[in-house]
Amino acid sequence: MSAPSDSFSDVRLRSEIDRSLRHPVMFFFTSGAAWLAVAILLGIISSAKVHSPGFLDSCPWMTYGRVFPAHETALIYGWGCQAAFGMIIWLMSRLSRQPCRNAGTILMAGHVWNFALSLGVIGILAGGGTGMPWMDMPAFAWIPLLLAYIAITIWSMVQFKVRPEGHTYISQWYLMAALIWFPWFFGSAHLLVHGFSGSPLGAAGVNAWFHSAMLLLFFAPVGIGMAYYLIPKVTGRPVYNYALSLIGFWSLAIIVPWAGMQKLTGTPIPNFLPYLGAFAAILFAIPAAVAGINLLKTAASDTETVNLSPTLRFTVWGLVFLLCLGAASLVLNSPGVMKVTQFTIAGYGYDMLGIYGFFSFIAFGAIYFIVPRITRREWLSRRLIKWHFFVSIYAVMAIVVVTLFGALMQGVAQETTYDSLWYNAASTVFPYAVLTTIAWCFLLISNFFFFCHLTLMWLRLGRRSSHPTLLVHGHPDSPHGPEGDIDNTGTASAH
Amino acid sequence: MQESHKPDLEESLNVTESHDRMLREAAAVAREKHVDEGGREPVSLWIFGSCALVFIFAGLALGNIGSLGSLFDYDQTVKPGYVRLDLGGEGDAGPPPAEALKVYAKKGAKIYSKCQGCHGADGKGGGAYPSLVGSEWVLGDTQRFAMIILNGLSGPSSTGKSYGVMPAQKAGMTAADLAAVMTYVRNSFGNDAGDVVTVEMAEHALSLSGERPDPAAPVTAEELESKYLAPLEGEPLEPSTMIDPVSLQPVEDPAG
Repeated sequence: MSAPSDSFSDVRLRSEIDRSLRHPVMFFFTSGAAWLAVAILLGIISSAKVHSPGFLDSCPWMTYGRVFPAHETALIYGWGCQAAFGMIIWLMSRLSRQPCRNAGTILMAGHVWNFALSLGVIGILAGGGTGMPWMDMPAFAWIPLLLAYIAITIWSMVQFKVRPEGHTYISQWYLMAALIWFPWFFGSAHLLVHGFSGSPLGAAGVNAWFHSAMLLLFFAPVGIGMAYYLIPKVTGRPVYNYALSLIGFWSLAIIVPWAGMQKLTGTPIPNFLPYLGAFAAILFAIPAAVAGINLLKTAASDTETVNLSPTLRFTVWGLVFLLCLGAASLVLNSPGVMKVTQFTIAGYGYDMLGIYGFFSFIAFGAIYFIVPRITRREWLSRRLIKWHFFVSIYAVMAIVVVTLFGALMQGVAQETTYDSLWYNAASTVFPYAVLTTIAWCFLLISNFFFFCHLTLMWLRLGRRSSHPTLLVHGHPDSPHGPEGDIDNTGTASAH
Repeated sequence: MQESHKPDLEESLNVTESHDRMLREAAAVAREKHVDEGGREPVSLWIFGSCALVFIFAGLALGNIGSLGSLFDYDQTVKPGYVRLDLGGEGDAGPPPAEALKVYAKKGAKIYSKCQGCHGADGKGGGAYPSLVGSEWVLGDTQRFAMIILNGLSGPSSTGKSYGVMPAQKAGMTAADLAAVMTYVRNSFGNDAGDVVTVEMAEHALSLSGERPDPAAPVTAEELESKYLAPLEGEPLEPSTMIDPVSLQPVEDPAG
């Protein structure tokens, strides 16, 4: 930024972009947060049924086999995908320096997504689920979801295509890749399972691949891409080593599509597939570590801002969870360990580490960054943010540690006691299931803070101030000056 | 909207004030920091070192090397000398026994799908190929029928009409396959030979076929009439005998 006039037109362009996207982005974030609450409620119920099977057992809609898939579906497609859509369309507009011209279409497609998803979740609870993890919705749901996806994201691809000449930032690489990969694996997996009457074993294989692709080819690139934007943006420091970030991207693109089939170890599928899947899943540790280390090194150059900014707190912890996810990929998929954990709750712990630990924390960070810009209001209360942060971080850590450690205990019990009753091995999970339920209850509390706060912002009840809501009260040396002066001079223009 | 886009061109507007308002309303946008360049800090060697370690782990898994890399091994998972427990249930004993003719014909129908391309689903050949229905060579001596299936046929057929060369079918054909397809053709499409060509008979046919001086050449009507005018040797099997559909062996006690 050379001259003040340049700076002003730059600010105007960026604020125009934000204003053009305020309706769809706020819609995705708030409805995502509402779905997150639904997902957590269903998670509490399904987790409670693991240790107290009598809980709600008189209601067929609330049996474990329906509540658990409904919980995962609401979490993946309700919260995860919608938070990702909000981040993708906003970040792609910003990086391609184009205001969005299709906000109405995107908003409508977002409603279609929510409608199809609601029918899908009701279908699962009514007993029409397919029984395939992460593809649980009845067969009618996938085509409207895919069409809504295309109507939501195609404009981001167009914006990328017509972006001003010059540098393509690493976040754009990640976002474009996720935009292209999602319809590829979502469409082909659902077509193969629902479109053709193949063998059930083939469907199980496709499902295992889809499950891995959804986490590692969609949520991972969107989360990493967003973090590559947020951390340099808020700290004002360049990415630690930019070349390393490209290595991280290309290793993700080359390795991860091969992962997934290791879940079917021991089934009569071609023998090389589980080995190839384990190979690729272990190698996921490399792109995860490269992105995580690169960004954490960037953030480490300014720890004071990391402490002050809600965005950075969440994002940095999301990256720490990304490193854990890479390490968990390495350990859980190495054949020696997989023998023990294949039929345990380890898979669920790994998914929660990816979805709630890594992806959601970065999404929370992004929401704390994006929402004040598009609503032109500051977050109301640092206390709500702090509660959200601390309760979620302890609850997520508890869920991940408890499920992964519980899975090891369960697996060892299965291996050593297979001459006695299976029930004895399975019942070793009991204390871990109780702890998981408690942790989900804490997550419900944290999400309550988050959802209320976000809804108030959505209703444009945020603080009218030019000072950001930071996590330390009245910091004397803050570059933003003393905090808290409500600035009500001047009318907000309507556009 | 149009006006506020160009505050500098609008005379009635105080430019400074409109800039100020813009910056105040979009304060969050205005205070954003701007980073133009990527960093070039040196990457520590331990990052590459740990990536190499990850590669080694992954390679062990891909190559199925050592106890670290082996995913699944029947020899380790299943105890040596393991015999499946006989639970005594009906459903555990495999497919139930059935009458020999039905079992052979059912198996033969699957193999006949190879013949169907020429001879047709109804066995009538459709004019361009010889019909199998009521044919003397099909229903007559089983040696002759077996030699045609195994070696193919050139020259005139049983009706005296020539249809070109039928290719040999013996590649990959086991005795059980041959027995099944012969039984099927002899008892389908309106044919009713009513007997079973057993596996033992089919083995005899395979050995006869192997003894031919020029095994690659298709048989001719002349060769068939001179050498193979006899039934295949073997113990005849009563068509109603109950046999196991997998092993094709008679079941000792069908009730059990």
